[in-house]
Amino acid sequence: MTEQTKSRGTALWGMLAAVLTTLAVVGIFYVAPEDADQGIIQKIFYFHVAIALTSLVAFMVAAIAAVRYLRSRQQRWDDMTAAAVGIGLVFTLLTVVTGSIWAKASWGHWWVWSDVRLVTYTVVAMLYAAYFLLRSSLEGDRRMRSSAIFAIISFASVPVSFYSVRIAQSAIHPVVFRRDGASIPGEMMIWFVISLAAMFAIFWTMVQLEMVQRQTERNLRHLKLRLEAR
Amino acid sequence: MSTGAQYVVAVYAVIWFVLLCYVVYVTSRTQRLSRQVELLAKLVDQPAKQ
Repeated sequence: MTEQTKSRGTALWGMLAAVLTTLAVVGIFYVAPEDADQGIIQKIFYFHVAIALTSLVAFMVAAIAAVRYLRSRQQRWDDMTAAAVGIGLVFTLLTVVTGSIWAKASWGHWWVWSDVRLVTYTVVAMLYAAYFLLRSSLEGDRRMRSSAIFAIISFASVPVSFYSVRIAQSAIHPVVFRRDGASIPGEMMIWFVISLAAMFAIFWTMVQLEMVQRQTERNLRHLKLRLEAR
Repeated sequence: MSTGAQYVVAVYAVIWFVLLCYVVYVTSRTQRLSRQVELLAKLVDQPAKQ
């Protein structure tokens, strides 16, 4: 794939993200019906859950890229792992903040330690924050290899967090998506799917931008060293 | 505005703010890259002048 095709791809993803986000916001506030139980507060659900799921997808992308790095030793897979973990952490932080606001609005508390989903999700966030501690403490090939292994091992925490609320039967944190289908009506579901697609498009655009910048920085460093050695 | 609506606005404002912060971060990083390219262009030109 040429550099021009790559940057055109990034621009297309960016445009798709902008269109989907606008469509989602319009749909959520002007078309989607208001929830009979929670009222307007339920509108938080569309972006909060979409961001949370995207953060878990980000960590899955990081694990897949890490496996590909260990198999091929190509730097681009290490770039993708680091980019996906970093952006996944930003989405995790957003999930925690938006979730806390929703919790305050509907439960009356910013945080509930007895909720298994909140605790396991915090563990996931802390594990992936440690990824950057590890990465900054090592150099060269060792850094890439160790952080790839760490990204793969840390991914074990993701399904634990995802299924925890289903296994623990939490009374506080509701489960919307069950094996027998979603517990929200179709006219809400469509806007949730669009929000999810928008968040994923934003994530993927960010990953591609991050990868281009990392590659450019490396190329420039290499070029500078060569020019200085002349 | 009702209390519920205020919470909803707060959530969407936080998301908007974080996305804007990311745009600022990408912009500053691109500017740094641009400065490095300028420096390299000068380094390339130097031997020609000598």
